[in-house]
Amino acid sequence: MTNKGLLASDLTISRAEHVLLEGAELELAPSTITYLYGENGSGKTSLMRCLSGLLQADSGKIYWNGQPITSLDSEYFQDLIFLAHALSMKAELTILENLSFYARLRGIKDPKSLIDDATSQLGIAQLQNRRFAELSAGQQHKVALCRLVIEPAKIWILDEPFVNLDKATRHWLALLIQEFAKQGGTVLFTSHHEIEELAIDQRIGIEH
Amino acid sequence: MFRALLKKELMVARRNWIGIVIPLFFFVMVVSLFPFGVSPEAPTLQKIAPGIIWVAALLATLLSLEQFYRSDYQDGSLEQTLLIAGPTQVASAKILAHWLLTGLPLVIVSPLLGILMQINHGFIDSNHTWVLMLSLLLGTPTLCLIGAVGMSLALAANRNGMLVAVLVLPLYVPILIFGTSTVTASLENFSYNGQLAILAALLMIALVMSPFAAGRALKISVS
Repeated sequence: MTNKGLLASDLTISRAEHVLLEGAELELAPSTITYLYGENGSGKTSLMRCLSGLLQADSGKIYWNGQPITSLDSEYFQDLIFLAHALSMKAELTILENLSFYARLRGIKDPKSLIDDATSQLGIAQLQNRRFAELSAGQQHKVALCRLVIEPAKIWILDEPFVNLDKATRHWLALLIQEFAKQGGTVLFTSHHEIEELAIDQRIGIEH
Repeated sequence: MFRALLKKELMVARRNWIGIVIPLFFFVMVVSLFPFGVSPEAPTLQKIAPGIIWVAALLATLLSLEQFYRSDYQDGSLEQTLLIAGPTQVASAKILAHWLLTGLPLVIVSPLLGILMQINHGFIDSNHTWVLMLSLLLGTPTLCLIGAVGMSLALAANRNGMLVAVLVLPLYVPILIFGTSTVTASLENFSYNGQLAILAALLMIALVMSPFAAGRALKISVS
């Protein structure tokens, strides 16, 4: 066991009296990409929510850099980006307003240039002033991915980030994840298909 | 961080203004029905005005609570803001925004309803108007603070609107009693300082406890 990265020890997670995971051990070291796979309902999302601090495990502990995440509170959460199924954007706000909001929550005072850069990379720069609700599903997904470029983090937990993406964007995201890991970041992601473009360091399967 | 949360709430509300207008319209409509339904005569209206205005304000606040977390919960932004900003800050920003958008407008329109209920004849020349406004100014934030805790708890119970009413209404009773009593005392030319002091004390207690309680309940709800 190293002190760096995310470590889950003896983790038991259940949902509606159905035990999804029992005594699970998990280690996500810095500079590694971990692929989490399993059938629908196997507990991938529950595990990710648990590692993100959103779901309370029945038992077990989760450590970030050697300290329990419950005692770290905001420090761990400032290091973390958790992209869930729900894209977490306000339909009433524009792309620029949505991304500026998240950037300001992370303490970035003037995020415009970062947003310009992120949206340009994803080919949605010209849509910055369009309301989120007016975008297609693919474009909405791209907006959510912009957060990975804009917000500083040390760990990414990504729940099916490759869904709804065209080939070019899948390639872009794979490169981005690879680059993040190369710079010391920790990545955990789920997908129903293995991503060919991505050099995966660790594979974890959940069975019923 | 708090400023960013508050700004987002206000921006969303600006684009979704109907949610602000409905509770205000409800407040005005409920009060304006009484002169038609009971009696347009000043002595009758003056007698029932404090209770009517306060009950209408309470119900309008309860109505507005429905939108407190719902869209944030559905689009996932509630989870994200909880992760980044922490539950107490999220709840505090929500409460402040909610009061600014739905509680403060009630205070602002209350002089008009005072005229309608004949507790004052001019717009702002009557002392009773100021007392009514002051009582609402102290009471409506408390209603929002208590309501926030109720909504946070109800979110865990599949956002059950009836449950919010059951949880929150009994806690609204002291505010209703002292709010009504303040205006009644003013209309009868008695001292109302004691009632205002109790309203202020209730606000202070709610200010200290509610953001924390609502935050904890929110954290439980999203898990």
